[in-house]
Amino acid sequence: MLKSLYGTLIALLILVPAVLKGAEIFPYEYQIETLENGLKVVSIPLKTPHIIAYYTIVRSGSRNEIEPGKSGFAHFFEHMMFKGTKTMPREAYDDFLTQLGAGTNGYTSDDYTIYFVVFAGRENLERVVKTEADRFINLYYDEEMLKTEASVIEGEYYASVSNPGRKINEVLRDTAFEKHSYKHTTLGYLEDIQDMPNQYEYSKLYKQRFYAPDNTILLVAGDYDHSQLMDYVRNYYGEWEKSGYVLETPEEPDQLEEKRIHYEWPTRTLPLLSIGFHGPAYSDEVLDKAALDLLGRIAFSQTSPLYQKLVIEEQKCVSLYANFPDRRDPHLLTINAILKDNKDLSAVEDEIFKELKRLKTELIAQDTLSDVRSNLKYSIARSLETTDGIASTLAFYISLTGDPGTINKLFALYEKTTPQDMQDMANKYLTRKNSTVATLTGGNNQ
Amino acid sequence: MKNSFIIYSFIFVLIGMTSMLVSCGEKSTQKLNVELLPDEGNPLVHFRILVKIGSANDPVGKEGLSALTFSMLADGGSKNMSYKEINQRFYPMAASVDLNLGKEISVFSSTIHSDNLENFYAVFKEMLLDPGFREEDFIRIKSNQLNYLEKTLVSNNDEQFGKEILNLMMYKDHPYGHTEAGTVESVKSMTLDEVNNFYQEYFLQGNIIIGLAGGFPTDFPNKVIRDFSVLPERETPALELPSQRLPDGLDICIAEKPTPATAISMGFPLPITKAHKDYFPLWIAVSHFGEHRQHLSHLFQKIREERGQNYGDYAYTDHFIQGRGKFPAPNYCRQQQYFSIWIRPLANSNRHFVIRQALRELKILIEEGISQERFELTRTYLLNYTRLYAQTLGERLGWQIDSHYYGYEDFLAEVQERLPKITLEQVNEAIKKYLNYENIYIAIVSEDAESLKNALTSNTPSPIEYANPNMPEEILEEDLIIQVFHLDVQPEKVRIANAVHFFKTNKLPGN
Repeated sequence: MLKSLYGTLIALLILVPAVLKGAEIFPYEYQIETLENGLKVVSIPLKTPHIIAYYTIVRSGSRNEIEPGKSGFAHFFEHMMFKGTKTMPREAYDDFLTQLGAGTNGYTSDDYTIYFVVFAGRENLERVVKTEADRFINLYYDEEMLKTEASVIEGEYYASVSNPGRKINEVLRDTAFEKHSYKHTTLGYLEDIQDMPNQYEYSKLYKQRFYAPDNTILLVAGDYDHSQLMDYVRNYYGEWEKSGYVLETPEEPDQLEEKRIHYEWPTRTLPLLSIGFHGPAYSDEVLDKAALDLLGRIAFSQTSPLYQKLVIEEQKCVSLYANFPDRRDPHLLTINAILKDNKDLSAVEDEIFKELKRLKTELIAQDTLSDVRSNLKYSIARSLETTDGIASTLAFYISLTGDPGTINKLFALYEKTTPQDMQDMANKYLTRKNSTVATLTGGNNQ
Repeated sequence: MKNSFIIYSFIFVLIGMTSMLVSCGEKSTQKLNVELLPDEGNPLVHFRILVKIGSANDPVGKEGLSALTFSMLADGGSKNMSYKEINQRFYPMAASVDLNLGKEISVFSSTIHSDNLENFYAVFKEMLLDPGFREEDFIRIKSNQLNYLEKTLVSNNDEQFGKEILNLMMYKDHPYGHTEAGTVESVKSMTLDEVNNFYQEYFLQGNIIIGLAGGFPTDFPNKVIRDFSVLPERETPALELPSQRLPDGLDICIAEKPTPATAISMGFPLPITKAHKDYFPLWIAVSHFGEHRQHLSHLFQKIREERGQNYGDYAYTDHFIQGRGKFPAPNYCRQQQYFSIWIRPLANSNRHFVIRQALRELKILIEEGISQERFELTRTYLLNYTRLYAQTLGERLGWQIDSHYYGYEDFLAEVQERLPKITLEQVNEAIKKYLNYENIYIAIVSEDAESLKNALTSNTPSPIEYANPNMPEEILEEDLIIQVFHLDVQPEKVRIANAVHFFKTNKLPGN
């Protein structure tokens, strides 16, 4: 039996810290080196047999789409990155990954686009470095290829067109933001998607601006030798030319009065409520974001009094939760509810604001704060079970600051945050005039 | 060293056992099945408690009862603790109990840090062994199940909607022939007593597989076994399923709703599962034809990459549920499987063309087989890609359980053993033996259904337009063939129904 196991399975290694209490949340040693062209490499050699996770983090997301008519372009460009090069066209690139049996893909968010190749065998590392470097430096596509891929984006839009959750997020952001590029979602506005076939020239400008070593970080984790990795990286990425482009995102003006938006869904659906408050950007130094994040989790988690009332006892809601994503620029803290009946929308909204009012005058109990810190620690610990989990978790934090140490700094901030800090942040940010209320109803949901 | 406290070790043993207590040598009469994957020093512990009961065990007229009953365990209180109290206990541990519902197997799973193992398990065992069956939990969970059927499924997720319609079509008058959530009519009729009775009837030692993986203490499995031994020893006999119903011609069902995009799923039952030797060559063929969310997929290349029609196009030899990443989730074992093609939503204007294209590609696959080059590429791909299937201990445990279900010591090892020996001829024989392009169920979610029906039955040409005015000549030439590709669709084989009428009962609506 054991023989067959060795033949098949990749032996597991313990990656999660044995005891979390008091330990740093991200315990792995890493090395950082920066090439002359600005390409930063974060390397986490592990003793995990076979597996290597190779992540390329490009700081290109919806945030970068600052020009009118260009919403969704970061995501579109992610698709174009799979078109290959003159020396390794798309079909050859696909075949390479297929033969490798790699887990591979790309994904785009507000602040970043991440490409990953997760594969087995350190003997394959050089080929992966070479191939990835080639496509980032020498990407080639013609106008026809771009036009065809633009249709795929429209297809991706259609893939979730029946999801009202996506729609309410779209209208909330569009209403809440006036100037910042977070106004649109990563997919972009449909009219901009439909205009993508005409954006060949802009796509070249986009690549020149953002797909450059000084806007990219390599993150490699797993079973390899660090110095060997760096030899490969220097060899294959050395010729990549800097961009030097400085992105200036439009500053979002202060919101001066409450906003509201309603969307009527074409078919029957459960009513949705999403309330957004402009909040601070991610920071591992200033505690505003960390304190609000903790507050949102405490006030709207499954253990919160309001959740118990609305979901468990009165059963007006199917779900209730807060979400405050870490973003490079100020984003929205949202409180979201799926209801059962349209007639309760107003009552649920009132209950949420009533709870926020309470949080501005009553301090959160220390035990409750300890519980949420504990929850966050164990949640992160579970995400670090595999090599890929370590890389994907860290990749997100690296995209925010460029510094892998930011995750530990953030958790240190969580430890420092007091109930008074949370109350102060509630008073500062969670006000009516800083809010946008979005509702969605559809059909006969009675 | 930041990671100096990390203890490295390999999994040292893998154990599957039945009817014995672990290591203490104590004889027991209990009937529990146990699957262990101990990994000493690993700070995580994975639980997978399988119940060999699923929606196929739902009584007629009470479809969805297994889902409601098991949801009462996973999302309700125990006798001693309310659901609120359970959440409060779990929250600091970041613990939760996930429930996967299948046709023949349901799984309660959780991953917990060993710091919290005892505290978590104390609650978890009560949830499963001493459920509260409170009225307020029942009302909440039943209401959620109804809302899923009446609103979410038919209105908020057309891709899943299409797949569920395909299931209804394939498994008419069969225990598989309803969604795991049941029907609106049946769920409305359920009482708390029925839930309790279902639990008493099926939550039996003989139906349960206790799966544990990770760094649990040596005596922990014994403790779990002793606790679960309070359940009745009985076992529910394995379901004797009727033969699967093969379609007669192209059998089409269109769910009509206002939508800019059309979702399509098509397929037919297969007479084999992973347990059969022919599964392996067939798997290579279907992986080539439509590997899930991979560029390898031939359909993906033809429909998405060449023509930009949609986000992706895939094919499957099994009922497929996506797990971590894009890998198949384990523990959805079934006695009967089906072949399917999943066409992700595309513009309504191109729906007829793409249905033609998918069926034409299937016809070409069957008539021409796959090439030596593609055979070798796909086989290499599967040999390497399956090495990534089970990266977590929980996944490994899941695959271990699946291996035993299908009669293997280790299915993933079997892949490495068997695939290199498969020949191209075996693959092409399997294609001809198990696949066909003329007798297929096709589920479509779209608007203006009558117009689609007319186009399909009259074989109206279905040319499409591209955003790219300079499409490659060879594609345009192929389009000329696809747009008139003949489909033998008989009007009486096209059923149309308003989307809101689905899942009220386990019958297909419309005519």
